[in-house]
Amino acid sequence: MSMDDRVEDLLKRRESIYEGGGADRVEKQHQKGKLTARERIEKLLDEDSFVEIDAFVQHRCIDFGMEKQRIPGEGVVTGYGTIDGRLVYVYAQDFTVLGGSLGEYHAKKITKIMDMAVKMGAPLIGLNDSGGARIQEGVDALSGYGNIFFRNTLASGVIPQISVIMGPSAGGAVYSPALTDFIFMVDKTSQMFITGPQVIKAVTGEDVSAEELGGSITHSTKSGVAHFRAANDEECLEMVRKLLSYLPSNNLEDPPQYMINDDINRLSDRLMEIIPDNPNKPYDMKEIISEIVDDGIYLESQSMYAENIITAFARLNGRTIGIIANQPKVLAGCLDINASDKASRFIRFCDAFNIPLLNIVDVPGFLPGTNQEYGGIIRHGAKMLYAYSEATVPKVTLIVRKAYGGAYLAMCSKDLGADFVLAWPTAEIAVMGPDGAANIVFKNEIKSSDDPVAARNEKIKEYRENFANPYRAAARGYVDDVILPSETRPRLISAFDMLMSKRESRPSKKHGNFPV
Amino acid sequence: MKKFIVTVNGKKYDVEVEEVKADVISEKKTVEESAVKNEVKVSGGNTPVEIKNEAKDGAPINAPMPGTILDVKVSQGQTVRKGDVLLILEAMKMENEITSPYDGTVTSINVSKGASVNTGDVLLYLK
Repeated sequence: MSMDDRVEDLLKRRESIYEGGGADRVEKQHQKGKLTARERIEKLLDEDSFVEIDAFVQHRCIDFGMEKQRIPGEGVVTGYGTIDGRLVYVYAQDFTVLGGSLGEYHAKKITKIMDMAVKMGAPLIGLNDSGGARIQEGVDALSGYGNIFFRNTLASGVIPQISVIMGPSAGGAVYSPALTDFIFMVDKTSQMFITGPQVIKAVTGEDVSAEELGGSITHSTKSGVAHFRAANDEECLEMVRKLLSYLPSNNLEDPPQYMINDDINRLSDRLMEIIPDNPNKPYDMKEIISEIVDDGIYLESQSMYAENIITAFARLNGRTIGIIANQPKVLAGCLDINASDKASRFIRFCDAFNIPLLNIVDVPGFLPGTNQEYGGIIRHGAKMLYAYSEATVPKVTLIVRKAYGGAYLAMCSKDLGADFVLAWPTAEIAVMGPDGAANIVFKNEIKSSDDPVAARNEKIKEYRENFANPYRAAARGYVDDVILPSETRPRLISAFDMLMSKRESRPSKKHGNFPV
Repeated sequence: MKKFIVTVNGKKYDVEVEEVKADVISEKKTVEESAVKNEVKVSGGNTPVEIKNEAKDGAPINAPMPGTILDVKVSQGQTVRKGDVLLILEAMKMENEITSPYDGTVTSINVSKGASVNTGDVLLYLK
């Protein structure tokens, strides 16, 4: 065999692997509004940066006639490339090849690049589009999933792991994404569930469509499983690139810094007007966020889930920060079970990847109600206390209005290790709201008064004037400074600058017992 | 919602009754009601019986949290746009705006000004 023949043979082999499941199946994939695995990788990565690994891998199953099956690339494309010039590892399941089903060697291809991603300290992005386990391979397929789960867990907190759901993801397949840091879902073409509609119908009699059960809307609003939702494949991959621009490549690096045009000393008159004079009136916290951060740009995670708390990445002076902010417009900005879950996971991600935290507080308390208590708000709320206390990244807390009781602590008060606490003059920092406090503290005075209603109102007013302000807390040093709302941006930038060299160590231990 | 204490053969029953608009009562509903009444007589327990107002059409807008209805901003039959304020629910010392999740028509209103509601209670139906 001459060199030319060998080269031709190689090119032919490659060509047949690149074809995936063949023109018909590719056409079907396109008809569903989905891109193929290779098209997706091309869109995700910088142009011509993808280098494939393990294209020639084949399965070794000889049951159920599998020995006669040719499965190009084992139904998954794996390799590395760059996003904005930074190294990432990527795998993309190929639905056109045996439904992207996961067999022993399909899994081995994935775990190989997972190991490389950890070793090289680069993000791992999984583009999921798979019918599930390859049944013919039996327990070997299961072992494949197990190996992936195990590596997801070991890589957690070492490299950012991103799962993009671009097709079905059912049964065990959902747990690898669940173990990763962020889940993206594409509208209408992606579904995630443990048991599908047919099984549910058979067991419980409930009639539910796949989309209703595990579509992107369900997981973005009801379950909180998905962090980002996109209209189509292209938009989704663009969002992944955007998210990565905020993140470091691994836990030993700082997030990338960008040049900015936004003046670091920019004052904002708008911030003087957002908080309504009446403390019982809601407003949109997002207005405050966009006034403060660079160019008014922020990227919200889980934007449609537990909307009473906002979790977002943004930049101050070109450096990434993670924002946790109460949203008074939704559920009065109360902390509840879902908000606690959402916020604490976000806090832990930021802490693991050296992203400083900005906490913007306007919280009246924890949401009252039997369903909250029965649902375990005690153990869920504890997650926020734990996550904040545990975090050693710079923590800056900005109290813009209400900060009452346990919820004040849970939003990272000085006591939970906030490095710098700033308050607006509109801040009300107290153990409870004026109405409730007056009822308890002045109980006897109100009771013995000739006109209890007037006396009560008088006492509420008195309490409000004396206690519902930032100065009591500032007098004890729980608040480091009370600032003009207009100067918030420069003051925050100065605070985070000052905190850049922060070093804080914790007693060494295997791991704490996080209240999950 | 009105509460009655009904005494039958010397036994007291707590009964909660909610007025149902004539045009939305289906035949099935009437049957259910009588069935429920029978159950009260027979069972002899003191479980409160709740008869829910289920509008024939429209999706319910539920209370997101326990509180008091401070104001009802819409009336039955009114068309609303997505984002319009339907009601003000005062809870946690906040005048929470309950906004319309989509464009539609208010088919029925289940609460009035001053009413106390719990999480999940139906405030109104929207089609």
